[in-house]
Amino acid sequence: MTSQTDAIRITKLVKQYGNVTAVDNLSLRVPAGTMFGFLGPNGAGKSTTIGCLTGLLDPTSGEIEILGERFHSEASSLKRRIGVMPETLGLFEPLYAHEFLAFVARMYGLDEETVRKRVSELLAALELTDTSKPLSAYSTGMRKRVAFAAAVIHSPEVLFLDEPFESIDPAGVALLKQWLRRFTEQGRTVFITTHVLDTVERLCQKVAVIVKPGKLVWEGDITALAGDGAIEFEGQKFNALEALFLHLTGEKYADLKWL
Amino acid sequence: MNTTLMGHLIGLRYKLMWAKTRSRNGRIALFFTGYILLIMVGALLGAGGIGAGIGAVKLGQTGMVAKAVLTSVYGGAVMWTLLLGFGMNAVFSETELRRYPLAARERRLVRFFIGIVDPFWFLILLVDLGLVIGLFLMSDTSLGLGLIAALLLLASNYALARAVGMYIDRLSATKAGPAILLFLVMALAFLPQLALQASKRNPAALEPVMRLLRLTPPFAAADAITTHGASAWQGLLAIACWLAVFLAAASWIEKHPYRERVAQAKAIGWNSPYERAGAWFGPAYGVLVGNWLRYYTRNQRFRAMYLLSLPLAGFLTYSFAQKRGEGEWFVSAMGAIPVLAYMGTSRFTVNQFGYVGGGFRRFFLLPTDPGACLRAASYASVMLGAGLLPIGLIAWIALAPDGADPRKTIMLAGSAITGLFLFNGLGIWSTLFGPRKGNYASAMGNDLSLAGNVVVFGCMLGGLFLPLVLKKWAPALISPENWWVALPPVAIALTFYFVSLNLAAPLVQQRRETLMAVVEGKS
Repeated sequence: MTSQTDAIRITKLVKQYGNVTAVDNLSLRVPAGTMFGFLGPNGAGKSTTIGCLTGLLDPTSGEIEILGERFHSEASSLKRRIGVMPETLGLFEPLYAHEFLAFVARMYGLDEETVRKRVSELLAALELTDTSKPLSAYSTGMRKRVAFAAAVIHSPEVLFLDEPFESIDPAGVALLKQWLRRFTEQGRTVFITTHVLDTVERLCQKVAVIVKPGKLVWEGDITALAGDGAIEFEGQKFNALEALFLHLTGEKYADLKWL
Repeated sequence: MNTTLMGHLIGLRYKLMWAKTRSRNGRIALFFTGYILLIMVGALLGAGGIGAGIGAVKLGQTGMVAKAVLTSVYGGAVMWTLLLGFGMNAVFSETELRRYPLAARERRLVRFFIGIVDPFWFLILLVDLGLVIGLFLMSDTSLGLGLIAALLLLASNYALARAVGMYIDRLSATKAGPAILLFLVMALAFLPQLALQASKRNPAALEPVMRLLRLTPPFAAADAITTHGASAWQGLLAIACWLAVFLAAASWIEKHPYRERVAQAKAIGWNSPYERAGAWFGPAYGVLVGNWLRYYTRNQRFRAMYLLSLPLAGFLTYSFAQKRGEGEWFVSAMGAIPVLAYMGTSRFTVNQFGYVGGGFRRFFLLPTDPGACLRAASYASVMLGAGLLPIGLIAWIALAPDGADPRKTIMLAGSAITGLFLFNGLGIWSTLFGPRKGNYASAMGNDLSLAGNVVVFGCMLGGLFLPLVLKKWAPALISPENWWVALPPVAIALTFYFVSLNLAAPLVQQRRETLMAVVEGKS
């Protein structure tokens, strides 16, 4: 049985594509009400893990539990309780922002009055009020905002965000951070992947770092970094997440004389 | 001019083609089979061209036969390119080519050559060359001039198809575009028949028309191939001029894309007809069907093809009836009416997820059975296809010589409904097992997979010719006396459709990783 305080529990998750292993025996626990940073270099298996956690991909083996229930790709009732902002955003480009958000909200079973209220409020808050353009004509940052709105419109209990802040302007990022903080204060959980380590340091309470092929190399509390504290690992002290991350994933150095 | 880089980019088109092929073992076999077939078809067409040349000399009508052959090949190539998208393989867009250190003129040349080396144009060239060789073997025409004329004719043919295609693309983007296209296609479809009838009534009127036609590329090429001296050189000059005109037109259209006027932000409308129409399918599918309906009807190519399917069905009926005699209107209509049921939606129906891009994964994140997304997409396609059938039947009753016979109307309805459900049933399987990433905004080109093409062309040709075959071999089956014969196929098509839906819907979930890779362009 999953502990009631765990929002997400991953046990020995393996995902293989033919002979290639993308996630290797990954086990993680994410306590409820936590902002959890899931980090790793490019190609480490972060998006594949999120894919397995959200029903996009079937794990080769292992177990996933979300909110105390076993999760699988056909668990519709559990999908109602989670929100996802996928890596590719998952937008229907010919639609207008309000049409897309209303479609998603209706699919989550919201009644028509709530659909209209929430769509209008989200569009206004995220400054997506230009109703003359379809999503295909939006900038990358605007599209990210729409995808974020689609992830939260049904007020989920667990939110999976795959690189949510890239391409969004600073004011937009500040707004999203403010929402996410309030979200976790209400006891809800955010599982976030990003390469912006400063943001993770300031936003997340717990972090896991994986390296290729989807192997967990470190998991722990990083709240100490928010003050002037440090994290101890293998006898070394790290007072910034970036230093720890580079230590775990291996700092690269290549001297190209012509560059 | 950076010819080395241009050569690399043209070569890259084939490297990309091969890279896609080698990603799966089965595809390599298919690729080689396709090329062997292409060589065979090419040999056949080349032999046909040679045969036409030899025949022309034997008939003593070298000029007339050459003109007729070259004109029909020229016109056919443009029509096949525009209607079916052959020979317009745009591997690199202008934006993509801008990444490389190429001047605007070089970029245009690269795109021109990438397009013209498409196998389709190779087949067209073989017919033209066959004619040149046939005439050379049997008469005293110049092989050198003939080869130059054939190459120039091909280049002008491609440039014309490209310019017209781009113009249609531009026209389709406008609000009035589909209606204008509809008018143009109707005019072009009926003009030759009207001209033929007029020339029969007044043969003298043909003379000035023929003088004007001499200036057209195929007639000029025929002059260059079949005559000597100044006349031949005049022919070559005329084709070269046309080539320059078509290239300039294509270049102008490319430089002046249609710019949609930026609309003012408008108030959000919540009560859309899409949702109202979708609601007919109940709570399980209503929202999804509404979304798919919006997806279909917002597409310019769908709108154009949907509107075009009406005159096209009329034209096919008229054209087949003319060839077979006045009494064959009904048999021709039996073959043509199913076109109404699937012509507009065809590109989407056989590749439902291919134009959704990244949106496809949304179906697996939503708290619904992904199979419902396939069902809803198919329901939207059936609903839109069915929408034109009453109009087609009313048009038949109003316009056909003996349309008032209710038995014939029932048989036509049966034919249309059978076509509708058979096509949509096959489309479900093609969507799952022959998906391909396509460009939703593209109004030109054939971006379907092999399976998609087989379904579209198989249904179209099968539908058109089956009634003619039945009329010849089993006339009782297509006689109004036995009108009830049209009903069992309806039942069979309906059964096939619903069995297909029930069997295929669970496969969406099972095949989602493969489908996702294809529609997101990763495979």
